[in-house]
Amino acid sequence: MEVTSSLILIGAALLLISVFTSLVSLRFGTPLLLVFLAVGLLAGEDGPGGIVFNDAGAAFLIGNVALALILFESGFDTSFASYRLAAAPALTLATLGVFVTTGLIGVAAVYLLGIGWIPALLLGAVLSSTDAAAVFLLLRVGGITIRDRVRSTLEIESGSNDPMAIFMTIALVELAVGHLPGDAVGIGLRFVEHMGGGAALGVVGGGLIILVINRVRLDPGLYPVVSLALALFVFATTNVLGGSGFLAIYVAGLIAGNVRLRGGEVLRRFHSGLSWLGQIVMFVTMGLLATPSGFPAVAWQAVLLAVLLILVARPVAVWLCLAPFRFSAPEATFVAWVGLRGAVSILLALVPILYGLPEGQMLFNVAFITVLASLLVQGWTIGPVARWLGLVVPRRRGAVDRMQLELPGEIEQELVAYAVLDQSPVARGQRLPRWARPSLVIRDGQVVPFQRARQLQAGDRVYLFTDPRTVPLLDRLFAEPRDLDEDDRDFYGDLVLRPETTLGTLAELYGLPLLLKQADRHLADLFRQEFRDPEIGDRLHLGQVDLIAREVVNGAVTSIGLDLEPARANRHHVPLLPSPAELLRSLASLRSRISFRLWERRQRRPGAERR
Amino acid sequence: MIDLITPHSIIPNLRASSKKQALQELARRAAELLGQHERAIFDVLLERERLGTTGVGHGIAIPHGKLPNLDRVHGVFARLERPVDFDAIDDQPVDLIFLLLAPEQAGADHLKALARVSRLLRDASMCERLRGADSADAIYALLTHQETSNAA
Repeated sequence: MEVTSSLILIGAALLLISVFTSLVSLRFGTPLLLVFLAVGLLAGEDGPGGIVFNDAGAAFLIGNVALALILFESGFDTSFASYRLAAAPALTLATLGVFVTTGLIGVAAVYLLGIGWIPALLLGAVLSSTDAAAVFLLLRVGGITIRDRVRSTLEIESGSNDPMAIFMTIALVELAVGHLPGDAVGIGLRFVEHMGGGAALGVVGGGLIILVINRVRLDPGLYPVVSLALALFVFATTNVLGGSGFLAIYVAGLIAGNVRLRGGEVLRRFHSGLSWLGQIVMFVTMGLLATPSGFPAVAWQAVLLAVLLILVARPVAVWLCLAPFRFSAPEATFVAWVGLRGAVSILLALVPILYGLPEGQMLFNVAFITVLASLLVQGWTIGPVARWLGLVVPRRRGAVDRMQLELPGEIEQELVAYAVLDQSPVARGQRLPRWARPSLVIRDGQVVPFQRARQLQAGDRVYLFTDPRTVPLLDRLFAEPRDLDEDDRDFYGDLVLRPETTLGTLAELYGLPLLLKQADRHLADLFRQEFRDPEIGDRLHLGQVDLIAREVVNGAVTSIGLDLEPARANRHHVPLLPSPAELLRSLASLRSRISFRLWERRQRRPGAERR
Repeated sequence: MIDLITPHSIIPNLRASSKKQALQELARRAAELLGQHERAIFDVLLERERLGTTGVGHGIAIPHGKLPNLDRVHGVFARLERPVDFDAIDDQPVDLIFLLLAPEQAGADHLKALARVSRLLRDASMCERLRGADSADAIYALLTHQETSNAA
């Protein structure tokens, strides 16, 4: 009894410490996950906590469950819309990218650590996947808005590359201990079985979750429990059947999360809470398990490896994978920079130890230091790097104070509550559209029917019933005004145009080139034609000006910016990761410059002789 | 700016109580300067505002349009005595207005002039000095000085 209680006490205390230090860390912008890891390290055997925890098996089990929960939630939270935007580049990164990173890290490890090829590639595989928890957290909690396409690519990549890295790690370990004959066809078949099985069972599992939640009448409190149990059931069944359980649970989450579920909001909160718990538990456990006194032996090699990973392996992989897609140089550079490694790498580093590989402990230490370095360097700098690369979407509106409540039954309506903020359009007399169905106002603690409330005042809270799709339109009316700054003009252009302006009018007014058959086209159509799914910040080149999507509501551009001097927006003369076309162009110009110099020198030579 | 404005095309303290009135006053002054119909100018400006506001934020507006029978791009600068609501993109009232009128066949010149004015008025310290200047000549000097120092 005594032992049980003290175990629970230790666990609860570590959780509490982690949660509360996270409050402090937000102030300083420290990556949260680093804090959790530090809590584990400090509590562990070499820290003041002095807890001796050396059970790699238990840590692996805990980590597996935690990772499964995190992946379920990241699938649950990813909309099909982001998939439509970014599936191709993200999945290329998650497959080919993982291969390339593994190979490059493997080569480096052979020379740096003086180990054989298989353990070196094993280390590469362990370090090859970006961490879903870290990427999600840093992109969302970081408080910066990055263009959808880039963010979705990073999020989908980080959620879907873990299964790949896990497969490669396990295959390489089995190769190392001789369980797996080094037969390419055999490995290939197993790969197909593993991934195909995982994806297929994930789809089935997702369907099962939807079916159970929407069809079976249970006590409302049980739905989150059922969803959790089903998710883990899908995960474990797939693993037992020889598929990738992690891929299955991610796919199941993705499918279930994109369907209207009974009590969807409650489920979302529940799983987001579980995902937090998973992250804390995973990082603290990994921190506890590590033995920092073993670090100095491999410290400089590991740090060098981290540098190579960040500056060479990841950028090369990203460059190769993104080459066929339309990513600008700053965007590709940012994707390369957000190659955060996290707890998954540490978790995978346990596999060699569990299989009893002689290099196991050393590989674990190297992986741990590399992850630490990645979290420190990349995690801490995501915001500044995004700003430096000009990828932060400036918020055009100020804050909105909004609450949404899903209504029971099958109707497509929500109860939305807005606080009326000082200086927002509604507070300054703007009328609410009729479709918003405002029903009541809470003013000074009193409930007032909307008709009797007359003009809305700052401090009121308005309740309205509306289609959830109209919420972005309402946000505009309830948002505080916000000062423009210089970056906004760079991002959104000098002037604004209405979406229904025709191309003909614009071309005539500003003397722009025009195809006659396009003269009657609306500018908004032009965006739809060019981007299919336009997002804020998309630019169309039109003669010497750029048109910019300033506002997008439900896939339609509703406000357009006109940039009179588009060259100004390209302030970044540091195309760290130029696209192949750009690279060719600059190589060509370099060649012509060099040949010009040579020609110049040749011209000068006879002159010098004459003198 | 030297080729866009003259000392006569500066209005240091325009009185207007609305966007419409401000545009009307500007059209009147431009009509006098260019010998054109006031109504025609006003209509052209309104037409442009219908495509989207020219209030670019920070109290600045750059209304513009095309007119037949102009020899080149002309500008009129006005400082309002009291800022007016201009439906600007940041919802802030406007007190500095740079009107641009381009000939029908201006082509790229129109855009170039617009870009120059927009760039000039992006400069926050320039706008502060324009707001603080005490006479039409001082404003003219500010607007044109920038240009000459850029050229140098």
